[in-house]
Amino acid sequence: MGARSFHGPVESADHRAAVAFRALRKYRCLAVAVALFIGMTAAAQTVSIQFSRGAFQVVDWKAPSRPPSNGWPSIFAIYAGPGNIPPLLGTYTVESGTLVFRPRFPLAPGVKYRAEFQPPGGARVEQTFYGPRVNLTSPTRILQVYPTADVLPSNQLRLFIYFSAPMSRGEAFQHIHLLDAHGKALPDVFLPDEELWGRDNQELTITFDPGRIKRGLTSNEKMGPPIENGKSYTLVIDSHWQDGRGVPLAAGFRKPFRGGPAIRATPDPKSWRLIAPAARTTRALVLEFPEPMSYPLLRRMLRVSGERGDILGGVAIERHETQWSFTPQQPWRPGSYNLVIDTALEDLAGNHIGQRFDIDESKADTQKVTSDTISLPFAIR
Amino acid sequence: MRLVRLVGTIAVLCCAVAIMIRVTVARKPASPLSTLTAVGNAPLKSAGPIAFGPDGILFVGDSMAGQVVAIDTADRKAAGAASINVDDVNDKIAAMVGVEPGQLLINDMKVDPVSKDVYLSASRGRGPDAMPLIVRVDHSGKITVLPLDGVKYASVALSDAPNSDPNARTNPRVVTITSMVYMDGKLFVTGLSNEEWSSALRSIPFPFTRDDEAAKGTTLKIWHSSHGRYETQAPIRTFVPYSIAGQEYVLAAYTCTPLVKIPFSALEPGAQVNGTTIADLGARNSPLDMVPYKKDGHNYILIANTARGVMKLQADNLENYQPIASPTVTDVAGVPYTTISDLKDVQHLAQLDDSHALILTGKPGPGPAWAPGPSTGPLNLQTIALP
Repeated sequence: MGARSFHGPVESADHRAAVAFRALRKYRCLAVAVALFIGMTAAAQTVSIQFSRGAFQVVDWKAPSRPPSNGWPSIFAIYAGPGNIPPLLGTYTVESGTLVFRPRFPLAPGVKYRAEFQPPGGARVEQTFYGPRVNLTSPTRILQVYPTADVLPSNQLRLFIYFSAPMSRGEAFQHIHLLDAHGKALPDVFLPDEELWGRDNQELTITFDPGRIKRGLTSNEKMGPPIENGKSYTLVIDSHWQDGRGVPLAAGFRKPFRGGPAIRATPDPKSWRLIAPAARTTRALVLEFPEPMSYPLLRRMLRVSGERGDILGGVAIERHETQWSFTPQQPWRPGSYNLVIDTALEDLAGNHIGQRFDIDESKADTQKVTSDTISLPFAIR
Repeated sequence: MRLVRLVGTIAVLCCAVAIMIRVTVARKPASPLSTLTAVGNAPLKSAGPIAFGPDGILFVGDSMAGQVVAIDTADRKAAGAASINVDDVNDKIAAMVGVEPGQLLINDMKVDPVSKDVYLSASRGRGPDAMPLIVRVDHSGKITVLPLDGVKYASVALSDAPNSDPNARTNPRVVTITSMVYMDGKLFVTGLSNEEWSSALRSIPFPFTRDDEAAKGTTLKIWHSSHGRYETQAPIRTFVPYSIAGQEYVLAAYTCTPLVKIPFSALEPGAQVNGTTIADLGARNSPLDMVPYKKDGHNYILIANTARGVMKLQADNLENYQPIASPTVTDVAGVPYTTISDLKDVQHLAQLDDSHALILTGKPGPGPAWAPGPSTGPLNLQTIALP
């Protein structure tokens, strides 16, 4: 919806005075009578409603100090739309003889407000105001969809969509589609649940239907997994999805990928490769995984601990989420360190360290991890 | 002289009584209300699930800020239940707060057990600047948007340890609170993470303690095992406390839609708790609200769902139902239920009294059938007799 500026006063006082002065010079006596008439009419018509600094004011109407018997809303109210709706909540005051209404909530972008003033025994005044202008510049973009790999396991659990600016809530599933190789939208692919947003509405988590992933459930048996090994798919995100301002995205997003085999093994730290940098450098500590891991969890579930506590630094995640690297703020000191990893770190299928997404309870290895973290020791020399 | 002595005796007795009263008052534990010590702007960033505690205290789940805020509603006047029916309640609230109806999202609905007024939590806007709202609808249908400034409140953080990445502004993990129940000095909170697949039920002592660790309560991992050969963790969507054969349980409903009983006695700090699945209410569905009640000498639980309507579960002798342990997969199994065909498009359900409930109804949103999203049409608040 487009935005428009607020309505201003109808006519300026200077302009009226200039017109009256010219008329006075030309016709004198007649002008006196006309001026009187104009003055009276103007006095009756100049009652207006203005909006400034978050408040609506009735201008050129001398407000009594006490409200009328039915209260100020009976003569002055603001409505956020047409028809018979309740007026805006807010407070009334009389300030230097001017009736002022302060809405409890700020005017919302794109909303048309109707201000109505009905003075006792006087003419009704109705004016329209608009909420603040929507900034249409810099449309929001989709920065990335994780996982970035072009082969996803058939038990892929989640997708993470990152935006360049905050988005609107409540309409994600209208705009995210999984197409098969023929371009046909696949139904019942994602979890019928609420949208899971990060704090700033810029990160959205989408979960594939776990009922189709978890072995042994009806959905899995009847419908199979959402992604099948060997088949081609395209994830499509519509460009007309609105951001937090109500502005469509700069562009849509398409991610073609193939289905791969399901991942049934848990992430095994023994198969990871840790490469330690040299002392007195700020080169990165690098951890390589044989398979992609969950991007958002890689960002926060690993920390480097030295003899004097945690090391501060920056994290980079590359090579389709198979490489995590940590660059310290200060050069490495020679010594012993630990890379401490939360056992809740997941692979693409939601398998934790030492614990599968769907545990086979018939087997002895139905382990439930008891420790919250594991440590990978390394030395800096 | 005798009169003076009598007056003196009475004075001494009065003093003694006054001291005794004072001592008694001093020994009486502080009321929960008195622990809402902060006065000012309640620090809410969002208003999600709500639950009533004692003395008109309303707990508001604030997922965006990772906290629960207890607010004094000052609504303590006991009253009997009244039939409350308000059409277009969302449109009316939207008009009052100055937004278009599509920008007003109602997130939860509960009834104050004392005043029997209806409370709604809502969001003014869908974007990052959305403002939280707590709305009261009284017996006459009058709608009041509660001022959140100048209220008495207390809060407890649910946030996790800070991110080790100093470049990160905040820990990006968000626990989306799905349901809350207050019982016997504890607030039970369920939620799901936006990043990892987990299941947790926190038990938070109330009044909230200042000790951060204690205030976080106990995090429990719930395993609804006995569900076939393979088992997963899963987030609880809604739950109620429920007594089965004299033992207290949490009766929890999950997405897709197992109904699980978990004994309260098992909720020990640090425990990994095995829940028992006693009913499967169907796939491609998410439970919304549960209302347990008694009618004609039988126990029932009314369950509102996203895709499978409103179910009336037969809840007599739940102890007799065997855990669903067969490897044979079934879509619907366990405790029997009927679907109430008259109740359609129910978005929220809350208990009003022993024989009535409130429903908030409205057409599903414009999204696909499996995830329609918030309704963009009018929502009607309606009192119904429990079926």
